[in-house]
Amino acid sequence: MSGHDPMIHICDDWISIKLPDWKTILAAQNALSASSHWTEIVPGLDSIAVQFDPALLSPDDAARMASDQMKNLTRVVSHSSATVVIPVCYDAALAPDREYVAEKLGIAAAALPSWHASQLQRVAMLGFMPGFAYLESEEECPAIGRLASPRQLVSAGSIGIIGRQSCIYSFDSPGGWPIIGRTPLRLFDPAKNQPALLAAGQTVRFQSITKDAFDNWQREEKA
Amino acid sequence: MSITVLKAGLQTTLQGAPFTGSRHLGMPAAGAADCLSLALANFLIGKSCGEIAIEITLTDAIFEFDEPCLIAVVGAAEYVRINGQDHPQHQPLKLMAGDKLDIGPSRPGCRTYLAIAAEIHADGLLGGQSTYLAAGLGGFHGRALKAKDIIPFSQVAPAVDLDRSTPLNLRPHYSNDHVLRVTRGPEAVEACEGVMDDLCLRPYAVGARANRMGLALEGAPLSKNDSANMPSAAVFPGTIQLPPSGQPYLLGPDAQTTGGYPRIAQIIRADRHLIGQLGSGSRIQFVHITAERATEIHREKLSLMSSWLGQINLW
Repeated sequence: MSGHDPMIHICDDWISIKLPDWKTILAAQNALSASSHWTEIVPGLDSIAVQFDPALLSPDDAARMASDQMKNLTRVVSHSSATVVIPVCYDAALAPDREYVAEKLGIAAAALPSWHASQLQRVAMLGFMPGFAYLESEEECPAIGRLASPRQLVSAGSIGIIGRQSCIYSFDSPGGWPIIGRTPLRLFDPAKNQPALLAAGQTVRFQSITKDAFDNWQREEKA
Repeated sequence: MSITVLKAGLQTTLQGAPFTGSRHLGMPAAGAADCLSLALANFLIGKSCGEIAIEITLTDAIFEFDEPCLIAVVGAAEYVRINGQDHPQHQPLKLMAGDKLDIGPSRPGCRTYLAIAAEIHADGLLGGQSTYLAAGLGGFHGRALKAKDIIPFSQVAPAVDLDRSTPLNLRPHYSNDHVLRVTRGPEAVEACEGVMDDLCLRPYAVGARANRMGLALEGAPLSKNDSANMPSAAVFPGTIQLPPSGQPYLLGPDAQTTGGYPRIAQIIRADRHLIGQLGSGSRIQFVHITAERATEIHREKLSLMSSWLGQINLW
């Protein structure tokens, strides 16, 4: 295992590669996807990992292959550049941490929806649960932090925020992010060809909707 | 044709091969926690190693069959009884309509697999049918089985030799004491210089928090640097994380796809099936080896097992 790139870490059936920024990560994901050797290609926030079958590939060969495939990365965003609009209801009934977050930001709770919906967000990665999206805002934002004790149940579609980072819960699950709204969209639908609504690299904008619109939408989604 | 669950036990799910190729969507592996026991059970009734079977955890479970059927049981169960009569593991067993199959508690160990020579009707997604409990996907309506559940299946005439029996030297030894081999994780040095030595110095015990998602380990806490959290990065079943408590956390088959705790070590692929037999109180001695050695061990194990099972994949 001598002489390989120090930014590459090798385990026996996966390797992790540190990368400088999200554009490089996307380009790497794109380049690695062209190879049939990787059983998984998983972007992180400052790295990407590939998994392989150790019956077919040795760790050293895998590392060499990944390095080769990531030479001369072309920085093209592989996904559609169209911004995905996500409807969100910021009504207090669906936003238990509205007041808490507004106070941390030093704004009125009533101003929170327009503040949040005005920002352009980028999907940094999916993780935690199928379709669960980690988003990063283009704008600076004071740190808000996670809840002191996580909730046992956060509803699917809930929008969490801890500062520049927001997230969208894809399933009912435990969770520790302060919640400021909920989308009626399904983040993960196994019946669809592309089950995840979002993908790393996409840009997202939230659009404030009323509670009535949310209820109608959810009824239609379930129908 | 169907199986009726008379007693479901602590956590009984439909599990087969893991989901692959969808971790970038946040979809975990799921699948049989002990893929080797699953493969052995499936082979006895003529199925390939990753087909769907019933995974039974810790406590006993009882099933009733409404049609004659061929089954096999492999795992940590203390006993297998048909209508109260003891029967062995590691060979095909013939059930008649109305027979009650009682699979005893898994001890020592944690899980037992019931393979059925029939096509079990399970929910499919992303090319797999295993159960992923946290999101309620796959398997039997995405959940663990409950008493009175009826699992439908289609009869398939099994073309197997009823005298088939797992060779003694290939039967797993179920225990509460495990030696698990690990390679260094990406943050082993950043998290704490010498953390691998400390991890492998003393035995750890599996704590009360132990399920398909992960196992909290108890033992001498590992010291670490202040940078407790790192930017989230990929994790896999068998990754050992170091949370702020200093007590290592071992990820299981249902573990999430990314995590923000330092990844200090990785259980080698060849030993990962043993994670499925770890339960609260199990003792673990970690042994640090290189990735190259891990690959050799994996290939040796595959070659040994394929002498009996033919084409086999361990995950």
